[in-house]
Amino acid sequence: MTEPDQAITKRPTGITGLDWMTHGGLPAAGGTLVLGRPASGKTVLTLQIIAQALARDEAAVFVSFEESRAQVLRDAASFSWGQRLAEHPGFELIDARPSQGAQVSGEFDLGGLLAGIEHCVQRTRAEWLILDGIDQLLYRHRDPFVAIEQVHRVSDWSEERGLTLLLTGKLDQNALAPKHLEGVEFLLPSVMLLSTTLIESRLARRFRIAKYRGSAHTADEVPMLIDTDGVHFPYTEEDSSTIRVERASQERLSTGIDRLDEVLDGGLYRASTTLISGQPGTAKTTLCGSFAAAATARGERVLYLSFDEIQAPVIRNLASVGIELGAPIEAGLLRFVTREAWSSLLETHYHALVRGIEELEPACRIIDPISALFKAAGPDDAKIAIERLLSKTRASGITTVLTSLNSDDDPGSEETLSHASTLADTWLTLGFNVVGGERNRSLSVVKSRGTAHSNQVRELILADGGLDLADVYEYGTEVLMGTARLQKENEEALNQRLRALEDTQRRQDLERRIETAEAEAARLRIELQAQQEEQRARETLSEQQQRDVVRRRQAAAPMSEETPAQGVRERSEGNHR
Amino acid sequence: MTTPSAIEAARVESGKRPQLILFTTGDAPRSRRARANLAEALRRFGQDPEMTQEIDLVQDPAQTFAYGIFATPALLRISDGEGAEVLYGDLSEPQTLERFLMAD
Repeated sequence: MTEPDQAITKRPTGITGLDWMTHGGLPAAGGTLVLGRPASGKTVLTLQIIAQALARDEAAVFVSFEESRAQVLRDAASFSWGQRLAEHPGFELIDARPSQGAQVSGEFDLGGLLAGIEHCVQRTRAEWLILDGIDQLLYRHRDPFVAIEQVHRVSDWSEERGLTLLLTGKLDQNALAPKHLEGVEFLLPSVMLLSTTLIESRLARRFRIAKYRGSAHTADEVPMLIDTDGVHFPYTEEDSSTIRVERASQERLSTGIDRLDEVLDGGLYRASTTLISGQPGTAKTTLCGSFAAAATARGERVLYLSFDEIQAPVIRNLASVGIELGAPIEAGLLRFVTREAWSSLLETHYHALVRGIEELEPACRIIDPISALFKAAGPDDAKIAIERLLSKTRASGITTVLTSLNSDDDPGSEETLSHASTLADTWLTLGFNVVGGERNRSLSVVKSRGTAHSNQVRELILADGGLDLADVYEYGTEVLMGTARLQKENEEALNQRLRALEDTQRRQDLERRIETAEAEAARLRIELQAQQEEQRARETLSEQQQRDVVRRRQAAAPMSEETPAQGVRERSEGNHR
Repeated sequence: MTTPSAIEAARVESGKRPQLILFTTGDAPRSRRARANLAEALRRFGQDPEMTQEIDLVQDPAQTFAYGIFATPALLRISDGEGAEVLYGDLSEPQTLERFLMAD
């Protein structure tokens, strides 16, 4: 309950953002002044603090100087914790409204009130004391110094008894103290200011810790929301519940489009942020649906926040391209939330999204489109809200896909309304490629941190079977898509077939020529053989003739000095020369 | 505003005669002044100060809630037909006190 190791002992309020801003809660002993204009939420804030205290079995006394007991309980009943106030035995509610028509003669003090409160505190063992609207009693003092003195007295009295005291009072515009109590803010250790302002007809509440003596605290003015669960400080609650992811994940998540996964070297990194930007009709939502389907197919929960598009038509349209999200919704894996961007303040949308994340604990989140936040009312820059959102989800390990609608004034540009493009890890742009009277969708990867990717523009194809990416067809300096691409692909295919046919014919021709040549070679070899045989026959015949001549000569010629053999040899040698 | 039960009970008892109840917090300076100022005013009007009831809220803090008196000192005037009226303070403004006491 208290923080004994701090310089000032504090008591937590149980309101997450408030305890974060005060670094642990309110002064455990001593007074906190809560000031604000009507409807700024002073009473709700103090009642919620009491409800949280009662939940921890810390008793409380609430003294109302403005509303009756019934009115206070009726107002509290509109909140989820209201019943606790009506039923808890540790809660004492005192109607201390001044009597109607009461007059004043001289000085008065709060001695009687403190005697009565002492009675209640002892009976309930209370640790909290709320004096709501005490300025409604004290303004009756003729002398404002005496009125301020009473506040000081109550604060000291509370501190002596270890009570955590909250006093509420009304403020005029730009004032720091209730009328007639100027200077009271210097007496108490802690002062909180609530304010209201109208932004585009919507009530915006703001909260600021104007003073917290002896303690570090958040001094910035922050948005304050009130819903059925009471008071919230959205931009501070996120910081108090952030879980830091120490390492960048190496895991890749499929987008549901195989070809796109290839382009992205496997898919999107877990816990990364992807921005999909494009004009209306470029299939941003379809791409989101594909990612959601892939995530739920892995058994992961997905929170899909759609601005301005309701669930049924989105699901129907996705089903027409083969992306089925009905079953994951029924199984509780996919939660589809629709919000109208113009209907609430920026911080209200932010708070709703954070609450959705806390309830569902999704692995993946889709915001479609995040540029819609620029239509929400609020004094804060939507870019800052977006940065907070991305920072929170990055730290909590949620993989985020955002879409952004390109500016109508610059439909061809790759710049988006959201400066989330500088924060996103991956940025895909979708567009239209209009050629030859035909409009085709295109997709290009502008950047993808940690991924080697091509910067080529590819055609995004929507078919009954789902999404697909087609490789580009470059024709000169153009990138062809759609019918033009198909025509060129057909032409290329035809040319390839023709070339293949030509090659076949040429090969066959050569083969035929080889056959012919081989046949001729065979014929020539036969002819050569015949010629050789003829030559051998002639030689044989010639030898035979010579032998016949010799025989005839030997038979007819007388004997000479030479022997007949010599004569034959000489004649033979002469024939051969 | 719901009339505290003690006022309702006192009104029944008072009949037609106004009843005065002075709420104090022991011997605190403002309570002493209120006591003295009231006695002086009643003597001036010829009324017996002993007829005024005094409730010390320090001694009997439950009466704070019974009568709905949270600022002290306070003078409660209960009369049939007029209801209950309260005058906060130490009664140091004679004219205001006189008008309060003389009101029918």
